[in-house]
Amino acid sequence: MKNPTSLDNLVEALRCLPGVGPKSALRMAYHLLQRDRNGADKLAQALQGALEQIGHCSSCNNFSEQPVCNLCATGNRDARLLCVVEMPTDLMMLEQTHTYHGMYFVLMGRLSPLDGIGPREIHLDRLLKRAQDSIVEEVILATNYTVEGEATAHYISELLKARGIKVSRIARGLPMGGEIENVDSGTLAQAMMERRAVR
Amino acid sequence: MAAGGIARQDQQPVFVLHTYPFKETSLVVELFSRDFGRVAAIAKGARRPRSAMRGMLQAFQPLLATWSGKSELRNLHSLDWGEGLLLLNGEALMCGFYLNELLLRLLPREDPHTALFDYYSQTLRYLAAAEPMAPTLRRLELKMLQELGYAVPLTHQVEGTPIEPEHEYLYLPERGAVSPGDNETGVQLSGKTLLDMARDDYSDPATLLQSKQLMRMLLAHYLGDKPLHTRQLLIDLQEL
Repeated sequence: MKNPTSLDNLVEALRCLPGVGPKSALRMAYHLLQRDRNGADKLAQALQGALEQIGHCSSCNNFSEQPVCNLCATGNRDARLLCVVEMPTDLMMLEQTHTYHGMYFVLMGRLSPLDGIGPREIHLDRLLKRAQDSIVEEVILATNYTVEGEATAHYISELLKARGIKVSRIARGLPMGGEIENVDSGTLAQAMMERRAVR
Repeated sequence: MAAGGIARQDQQPVFVLHTYPFKETSLVVELFSRDFGRVAAIAKGARRPRSAMRGMLQAFQPLLATWSGKSELRNLHSLDWGEGLLLLNGEALMCGFYLNELLLRLLPREDPHTALFDYYSQTLRYLAAAEPMAPTLRRLELKMLQELGYAVPLTHQVEGTPIEPEHEYLYLPERGAVSPGDNETGVQLSGKTLLDMARDDYSDPATLLQSKQLMRMLLAHYLGDKPLHTRQLLIDLQEL
């Protein structure tokens, strides 16, 4: 038996979600149509609305409904500091610490040479422009401590230093409450290699 | 079905060449193992926040891997840190990505290359120790082609006469050095460059430059039409 075309279309559309294969997509479609038509309606409208409303903040590149997002527009942040993160979730995590009061730039990714993700995909041209607004005094690189995140941090720092901008990298080492006995040896080895003088 | 059965391999020395997301929480990992060559495996749940493997599935680190299965995609069970943590910084990282891309493109699956593995591991150590990068890369490129069975004759011409350091030659892929003059495309270089490469001596800047041109031409020949991502990325960064 052949499915109705619109059901096939729905299944096909759901498969664009990460980790959703044909089977999960069909299950979702049945659920939405059979058990939760209200939810399906909400989902459709939310998707439509988000697509129409949400773009990128012209300052920090994060998702935003306005041309400049709330965080960039408040005016009570320290505009001399610019923190570079890979993803919006990283920004949220940093915000939750309540220790950083500067501005952000969200790359929406990282350099990933083997996947063909280069400087264009992570908007480095916009970051360079943003960092040279003559107010920013220090750029803090808070990309991940993965090999890709490290490579991203390295190239951004080279580009910024060549333009005379001060660059720093967030520290790494033992976690809060970390016991040497229980920490993984990779982290421990790095903590030893990057030890600092006690002041 | 018994998980793996006889195909289980314990604590194998490996390097991660690349990983990519698989389903919701897993990763497909491309491993370069010393005794089994290039092996692909699924690391189940490796993208969960508390996965024991999460922080370890990083390229350029000597690891000990345990996997099982006989299909093309093995199941990766556990990882341990191997001997000595390697810290690649800055440009050395990009060189590492370049080497991994070469291995992924040139090395067939399930084809053991123990000598190449040891050489790769040594090369990463040199890169981590901030040794000069160009000769380090040239050595590995040459070693890689030779280990994979591509002849790169350096001491004799195609027809058998020994290379003279003072002479100029034209180097042709699949063949070797010929006297210039014929209208064939190849890399022009001095006999000294070829003999230096054969002796593993990259101290002369001219050797360094010409060997780079030679290796680039040979690699392009064996890689085919698709350009290397790592090279393109460096070009794009230059343009910023």
